[in-house]
Amino acid sequence: MEAIHTTEGFDFKFDCKPDYGFLTVKIPNGKKIKVEAAAMASMDTNLEMKTKFKGGFKRFLSGESLFINEFTAKNGNAEIQIAPAAPGDIDHVYLNNQTIYLQNTAFVASGDEVQVDTKWQGFTKGFFSGENFFLIKCSGKGDLWFNSYGGIIPIDIDGDYVVDTGHIVAFTEDLTYTINRIGGYKSLFFSGEGLVCNFKGKGRVWIQTRKINPFVSWVHPFRPKKNNN
Amino acid sequence: MENTIQSATTNQLDVKFQMRPGATAAEITLKPGQKLTAEGGAMIAKSMAIQMTTSTQQKKSGGIIKGLKRLVSGENFFLNHYVAPAEGGKLWLGATHIGDMEQKELHGENLIIQGGSFVACTENVSIDASWQGFKNLVSKESLFWVKASGHGTVIFNSFGAIYKLEVDGEHIVDTGHIVAFEETLAFTLTKAGKSWVSSVLGGEGLVCKFKGKGIVWVQSHNSSSFGSTLGPQLKPR
Repeated sequence: MEAIHTTEGFDFKFDCKPDYGFLTVKIPNGKKIKVEAAAMASMDTNLEMKTKFKGGFKRFLSGESLFINEFTAKNGNAEIQIAPAAPGDIDHVYLNNQTIYLQNTAFVASGDEVQVDTKWQGFTKGFFSGENFFLIKCSGKGDLWFNSYGGIIPIDIDGDYVVDTGHIVAFTEDLTYTINRIGGYKSLFFSGEGLVCNFKGKGRVWIQTRKINPFVSWVHPFRPKKNNN
Repeated sequence: MENTIQSATTNQLDVKFQMRPGATAAEITLKPGQKLTAEGGAMIAKSMAIQMTTSTQQKKSGGIIKGLKRLVSGENFFLNHYVAPAEGGKLWLGATHIGDMEQKELHGENLIIQGGSFVACTENVSIDASWQGFKNLVSKESLFWVKASGHGTVIFNSFGAIYKLEVDGEHIVDTGHIVAFEETLAFTLTKAGKSWVSSVLGGEGLVCKFKGKGIVWVQSHNSSSFGSTLGPQLKPR
């Protein structure tokens, strides 16, 4: 794929979308980017790495934390290849003093001036993957790259929209949301849809075409049986 | 006459498959009042005003018995029925597996679908999970089958990519790779090699020999083979 040149932000390119989305970013001398821990696949020797820990120790214990490595180009222009953890799609948005919320595993990389924070959702709104009750809040000015397990499709919302909680990758701040059951009580238990997120307002939601949990449940019966001796 | 043609065309389902073949999702634009029945758990997103109800059987086809048969056969016992509001709406459906999706228009003929591959169908298609065409199937695949009949659109998914095989004469397909086939085809289960020993040792086990004229949809990968590759590397359960 041809490199994407932007007037603002870094030059970058995506390869192998949507199944094995992979990111290459060009970093001019003296500039810095933030990358999710362990996502660096290769880089040139001009880059220097420093580990940052977002959230503090208390949040680390609650699982509400994020390790971010900062890569700075020191002795000239540099290039880095970034591979997200899950095989799937990758997407980009340039934040222009906006805020975007990401599902807790979706963060891949961002420009240095993007503020990356974790946001506790509370038990009533904490929905992503059912266990991790926090979102990643990205705000400010700069590039933001995020990924998913499965393809990423943007949906522009003007009014109301319903999205299965497990299929949300990201959404813009201008949308408000509530977590609801779908249909009647029978549907809550038997529809297989579980809880859904009702979005309201004018903004954008990025959805993923697959969820990782059904894959995990599917593979379970193939595991060997425990030997009780 | 003109009226019937119009109603026939307006009932057709507007489906676009996105992200094929690895991470396929179906983007469905429902016309005002249009109805769709989908496998439980398949919904990714929808317009707010589309109503959803859950039932134990497909609306207007059979009763609790058919639903029970569906439960016994392992297919989702519960189906979700969507109805579009007066302004129409959008519905996104996905699948569990890494793979592709296909659609088929039924004009009164029957389509046999591998149980786990059924995704959705329009109002005038009925789904019967009690189809017993392969009841003597002794195979590690442990597949079950669903018969779709009537008039309308059926959507099904696969593990891996789907390719269409137009059979005219005879053709052999591994049972684990069949996604769907037209019931106009006659079929027999047979061993892949000359002897049972070579069939079993060769890993092919039972294959299906199709005869006649019709289409078979075949998947590029077999999910139980993938599972058997992953399984031994995981911790015991």
